[in-house]
Amino acid sequence: MRRLVALALASLLLAPGRASADESEEARLRARLKPELATPVIEVVRAAAAESLPTAPLVARALEGASRQAGDAAILEAVRRYAAGLAAARRALGPTARPAELDAGAGALMAGVPEDSLASLKRARPAGSLVIPLVVLSDFVARGVPVADASNAVLAATRAGAPDPALLRMRERTHERILRGEAPSGASREGLRELLMKTPGTPKERGSREPRAKGGP
Amino acid sequence: MNNGDRWDDDVRGAYQLPIEGEEQARDRAIGRLRRESAKRRGLGAWWLDPDGLRMYPALAAACVLAVLVIGAWGGAAWMASRGVRAPRPTIATIPSGSTAVTFVFRAPGATRVSLVGDFNGWDPNATPLARATTGEIWTAQVPLEHGLHAYAFVIDGQDWEPDPAAPLAPVATFGRRNSLLVVGEDQAL
Repeated sequence: MRRLVALALASLLLAPGRASADESEEARLRARLKPELATPVIEVVRAAAAESLPTAPLVARALEGASRQAGDAAILEAVRRYAAGLAAARRALGPTARPAELDAGAGALMAGVPEDSLASLKRARPAGSLVIPLVVLSDFVARGVPVADASNAVLAATRAGAPDPALLRMRERTHERILRGEAPSGASREGLRELLMKTPGTPKERGSREPRAKGGP
Repeated sequence: MNNGDRWDDDVRGAYQLPIEGEEQARDRAIGRLRRESAKRRGLGAWWLDPDGLRMYPALAAACVLAVLVIGAWGGAAWMASRGVRAPRPTIATIPSGSTAVTFVFRAPGATRVSLVGDFNGWDPNATPLARATTGEIWTAQVPLEHGLHAYAFVIDGQDWEPDPAAPLAPVATFGRRNSLLVVGEDQAL
């Protein structure tokens, strides 16, 4: 009985805060977008909120489009695509995924990373945060690493138990190799090989010979 | 009376004899004590008197701490008055779940650089960067909430550039990719 009362009180206390946050986002959108654009964008934002998806990334995309002076159709399309990406990310990462993970996952999915790869990452690190692995995966794809190679490299590193700082070092090494003219695919493989050599308890050769052998999505 | 008893009487009698000059010696001792007491009350004698100050240990510790704090504050003020700035960390945790992040961007020839991102509504006028003394380096410090942030730099109000040192967003939604920053995980990128 006490729990029920506490829950009821908590919901009463939290509900106005959530509503005011939503109103604040809508006010920002109405202040920056033309009325004919603000209305459909707000509809998308409200629909996302109804599905308990994070709405801040959607508002950010709309405001970014306005600042970049993109067309109304492009802005609305970008917001809709991102909302779909957030929903797909939650399907792949599960209902307990945090907003930052959904945000990063949506970007990766929009870049062509399959949902299976995200689900595999979640299985590889079921309790820890996936924000850094997803950001590294997105960076690989953005720098020209084929989606399959990028997914395999990040998944293999995560399965090997590499901590976030090691993943970030792998990203930096891969970036440096690409800047020196190496092919993005080979650069990511070398980055993974270096990481596995420095990660205790992993086979030293696995990274360079066949990183896909056990790391495939 | 035997010989032993007589010897005892002689000794007892010797002790009872008045000492020659005893009165003068006592007067001299009292006078010396008075003179030393007068010296102690003189200027500066209090600082040398080991019994001159009694204090609770906690009060003494508080006094020492206050002296250190005032000294540090005074030193910082003196450095600031001479134009010397204490080094700033690139990333420093501040209360209420946010972190102060210093953005650094190299833009040779730029007359104006600003920072846009999720955290300032992508407003090019919201967060201008300050030009460092070297001329090509621009910096800004921004408190950011924990989470994933997309951002870019705007040069002279026109060119949007990603941060060359940061991870890139996977999709160029509006023509150019943004940079990504994670705050509150193991470390900021």
